[in-house]
Formats: sequence, structure tokens, C-alpha cells
Amino acid sequence: MTNEEIKDLVLEIIEDIDDEADFDSLDPDQPLRDQLDLDSMDFLDIVMELRKRHQLQIPEEDYPNLATLNSCVMYLEPLLKDA
Amino acid sequence: MTVPVLVIGGGLSGIAAAIRIARFSLNVQILEQHSRLGGLNSYFYRNKVLYETGLHAITNYAETGDKQAPLNRLLRQLKLKRKELSLCQQYKSKIDFHGHESLFFSNQPELFDAEIQAKFPHIHDKFIQLKKFIDLFDPFTLSPFRSAKQYLSELFGDPLFVDMLMCPLMFYGSSYENDMDLNQFAIMFRAIYMEGMFRPKGTIKDFLDTLISHYEAMGGITRTNCRVKKIIHSGNRVTGVELASGEIIECSYLLSTIGSDETRALMNPPGQITPPADKRLGFIETIYELQEASTSTLPEDTTIIFYNTTKTFQYRSPSDYLDPSSGVICFPGSFSGLPPKKNREIRSTHLADFSRWKKLSADPAAYLEKKRQAAVESRNVLETIVGNFTKDIVFENTFTPVTIERYTSKHKGAIYGNPVKIKDGNIGYHNLFIAGTDQGFLGIVGSMLSGVSIVNQQILPKI
Repeated sequence: MTNEEIKDLVLEIIEDIDDEADFDSLDPDQPLRDQLDLDSMDFLDIVMELRKRHQLQIPEEDYPNLATLNSCVMYLEPLLKDA
Repeated sequence: MTVPVLVIGGGLSGIAAAIRIARFSLNVQILEQHSRLGGLNSYFYRNKVLYETGLHAITNYAETGDKQAPLNRLLRQLKLKRKELSLCQQYKSKIDFHGHESLFFSNQPELFDAEIQAKFPHIHDKFIQLKKFIDLFDPFTLSPFRSAKQYLSELFGDPLFVDMLMCPLMFYGSSYENDMDLNQFAIMFRAIYMEGMFRPKGTIKDFLDTLISHYEAMGGITRTNCRVKKIIHSGNRVTGVELASGEIIECSYLLSTIGSDETRALMNPPGQITPPADKRLGFIETIYELQEASTSTLPEDTTIIFYNTTKTFQYRSPSDYLDPSSGVICFPGSFSGLPPKKNREIRSTHLADFSRWKKLSADPAAYLEKKRQAAVESRNVLETIVGNFTKDIVFENTFTPVTIERYTSKHKGAIYGNPVKIKDGNIGYHNLFIAGTDQGFLGIVGSMLSGVSIVNQQILPKI
């Protein structure tokens, strides 16, 4: 997957979790949680969806790597390079 | 075959928990001992008419768009569309300390505030202080029991007001006598006074059917008439369950929603129930259906009345079959936007003593007669509050704590379960957790969030 595809994947997952999510003013370097009013329960869903769609097992200690859209891309890029 | 997750109990917490698992394409089975799902919130038929059990009103009303509201968080977690459930809000409800004072409240918190300002002006500033405290309070932090009654008594110094404030919150979710954990109080205060009450437009059966078809569409499996006889474990590691039929199902994780002591009773050796966990609060409930051309002058715009007729409100196991001096009167048809029904319904709930009813149930004729008498005793008090309706009754049905125990297997028929709650769902096993009533979140939204959060915390990150 390219970086753009990974970005789209993450946004698609978030949209699936919350169909009211507004990406228009999303800053890719700021925490997703604050900008999209997500809570820890929603956050777990991102992890679980990545697992469901791409069989990724993300350990709990790695969750902070998914904080912003850009950090998601950095973290997921090596894991999804063959996807 | 090993099922990744088994859920014991097909009540609302079990269904919500199982939806969470199924949502991520993991195999999950709900094992329900009865022929019907719903647990405490279910239904039965008499003369081809459906009657709901349990449900009076659902607390935690929220408008769409308020993402952090428990109701909306729950729907998001379950991937349920808000529009799939038409929600009907209450008109208004009343705390009626008959002969002393009354307070109305609704889904607009301003009404309750204005009522308090008008009737308890001397403590109104303290009430604002309480709302600020609750607003900033995080009730989900695990902490030891702290007396809400003591906190409120010190804050208000007005025993009548404290009793009135606590009465609806106790009747709608306290398993503890004459007090509440401050955390529980804060959760219930928000759920009832700040958010408010509603019900689905359809019946509880429609609500359950929506949840189950959603669950089954994700691949979840429901097994009814499927009683778990034993939990198979070695030490603190569970390997599966043995059903009453003798069938064995292996699992990686087991989530039990049947109560903490009820779960321990399935272990080897079975756990014993010891004080203070043996102290359970029983309830008696009667459903009345009134004839169409009713001449009764019942209140038209009130959904629920929480009443007390004595000077000091006592929320405790009565020293008689029931205590009709306080209780809840619910008009299930009094929600905005409900389709009109031919007959009007009234439901009453009072505290009741399980042990007396249990003893009497050995003599079916005496038990039935006492049930009839209990309804009369209850009605005598109800009619002083809402006016006479006895002559219009076309159907009545009373559930005692024995009835509730029989249908729900809750120990001593205690709908709010164990007075000792296990907030993290951990009862000392590696891969067995509890959710639902004994975890501590109560009400329909609460119990479903209980199932969701225990799965989120204890199972999904590890599986």
C-alpha cells in the first residue's frame, strides 16, 4: 500500500465507525481523538478493524503510534507494504 | 472445535457484548437458558397480547450529535443506526413524597432545576454545586465505596430533599439498602436527571429482534434453551462449559452475564454466597390493563411517579411481603410519539421480601391468594396518588421475587443483583469475566455498555 492508500484506509475505517466524522479540517499531525471527538472505545475499533481487514495484530503498547493520521501512516507502512 | 468467545446469558448485556465480538468477525455464541432472549427485559403473552417485563423506561436519553453521550457511544460501538430505533421521550416524571413535597423532572434539566428553586429555595445554590461536582466527577475510576447519602446529607442538610433526590435513583438501579455508592449515584444522576428517559416506539420484542438480527447478520450465533450446568476450568483457566444436555463447548474466553455468585456457583467446587453478598433486594411488580372506555382520571402527562408516603424514605428489604409505602408507578403508554393503544396500562413496583414469598410458594394456593392481596394493598396506596382505577381493570398480573428468580435465575430474584459490584469484571480467572448487573452499570443503556466495556477492556485487546 502507498502512503496515500494507507491514509484512505484509516479515514475509511473512521468513517465506518462514525458516519458523522468530519475530515474537512483534519490536521494530519494533530491527535485524531481530539479532532474527531473520538473516545478510547472508538479508538479500539480502529485497531480491531485493521485486524479484521488486514490481519494485523497491533499490540496494546503500540496503540500510541496510531495517535495522528501521519503517525498511523508511518507505523502501518512497513506492516502493509505487501497489502 | 473451540469457540473464541462464549457468552452466558442472553440479556441485554450479553447481547451487546456478543455484538462487539461478532462485529470483528470473531466467532461467538450466546448461551441462553430460556426459550427467549432479553433476561430481565423480556416479554410474555396472555390472551395473545404481548406484555413487557422489566422495561419501564430507558434512561440516558441523548440527542443525536452528542457523541460522548452514553446512548450514542453505545450505538456507535454496536454499529446500530439511531434511525433503526425510533426513540420516544417521556412527557415528565414526578417524585411524589405524598403529603410532604413533590418535584417534577423531564428530559429538559431546566424543569428539575426550576422545581427545586421553587420548592427548596434554601438549597438551590447547593444543587447547582452538586451538578458542577457531578459534571467534573469521573465515576468510572475504580474506587472504594463512598456513601452518597453522607455526601448529600452534608451538602444539603435537608433529609427530605436528600431522600427525594435519591428515591428515583435507588428504585432504578440500587442493589444496596438505604444508600448508594457515590460513583453509582453520579452515574444514575446523569442518566435520569441530566439525560432523561425514553423508550423505543416498538415493544421490547421489536427492540430485541432488531439487536438479534443485527448480531446474526454479523455471523453471531444464539442458542436458546441452552443452560450451562458447569464451567470447566483447571485452576483459574477456563477451558469451556458443560451444558445441561451434557454437550461440552470449548472456548478461549468466557463472559458471564448471569451474576458473580451465580457464575461462581457453576465452578468446581461451587462458590458459596456469604455476607454481605447474600443481602439481596427483591421487588414485586404488577401490570394492570384498563378497559378502553376508562372513566378513571389518571394523570395524562406524567410518565413515571416515584413516590413515598412516609416521613422518612426507606429503601430496604421490608419486614413484610411487600412495602407499598413507597414505589414506582409507570404509565408505559405515556411517551411522546407512541402509537395509540386501545387499553391503558399501569405498572407498579415495590420493594418485597424474597424469603417470605419463597416460603409461601411451597403452598401454591396460599401463594396465589397472597399475590392477589399484595396487588390490592399496592393499589390502595396507588389510588391515593393517581386516583381510582380498580373498577376499570381488565387484566392484572403480579410478579413476585420468586417469579423473577424463576425466569431470570437471579439469586433471590434481585433484579439489581449483588450489593457488591465487580467494576472491572474480574472475578479471579485468567479468561473468564463478568458483565451486566453485577459489574455495576445499570439500566438498559448501562447494562449494554457494561457488556461492551468488559469486552473492550478484557477480551478484544488480548484475543
